[in-house]
Amino acid sequence: MAARATILLFATARLAVGRPEIAWSVDAKGTTVGALVRSLGGRYPKLAPILATCRFVLNGRYVANRATRVRPGDEFAVHPPYGGG
Amino acid sequence: MSVSVRLTRRPLSVPAAMRLLSGRELGGVVVFAGRVRPDRTPQGRVAHLDYEAHRPLALAALSSLERTAHRRFGAEKVVLWHRLGPVPVGEVSVIVGAATGHRAAAFRAARYLIEQLKRTVPIWKVERARPGRRPRSRPAGRAGR
Repeated sequence: MAARATILLFATARLAVGRPEIAWSVDAKGTTVGALVRSLGGRYPKLAPILATCRFVLNGRYVANRATRVRPGDEFAVHPPYGGG
Repeated sequence: MSVSVRLTRRPLSVPAAMRLLSGRELGGVVVFAGRVRPDRTPQGRVAHLDYEAHRPLALAALSSLERTAHRRFGAEKVVLWHRLGPVPVGEVSVIVGAATGHRAAAFRAARYLIEQLKRTVPIWKVERARPGRRPRSRPAGRAGR
């Protein structure tokens, strides 16, 4: 079975993809956040322009460096601009 | 979870917030309640807003704001409550409050809390104009409360 990371989508990102969660295949050495974001935009064209406005969270921590690696079993969240209140 | 920080699908109560902010020495209490407006959208008037959160991060961010209000403004008690799920027009979607010894610090703390909540807490709203219509997420900053 292919190893996977879980991608969580919220608000506009969820609406663009049509579901709140994606299981994303990742090989054992992982992929960078930058490469993952590019792949997501390629797979989901409606999501691509939204990704440019998003922050990303890996395993509960905000991603500061797009060279950070996403590995099998990780949880990667896509946060569009916040709109509470 | 602290009672002062809450994400809930149940209606929010201003009197309940006031009770939590009460205290013999707390002479200044400021409570802000944000309600859902019937804004015009291309799909028609907003009927309700659907709120969602990345819950673990949102709770951590709210708790961080609570600590900052204590440290920076001397707030003895704080309320940071937000609704999740569908919230109809006219109902309260958010309550923030601060109780301090005097009014000036309470106003500053409450203003800080609502502005920071909107900017830094992973909560989102999606406008629902009427059943069956395509939803759209409201861009940040448009709410204007």
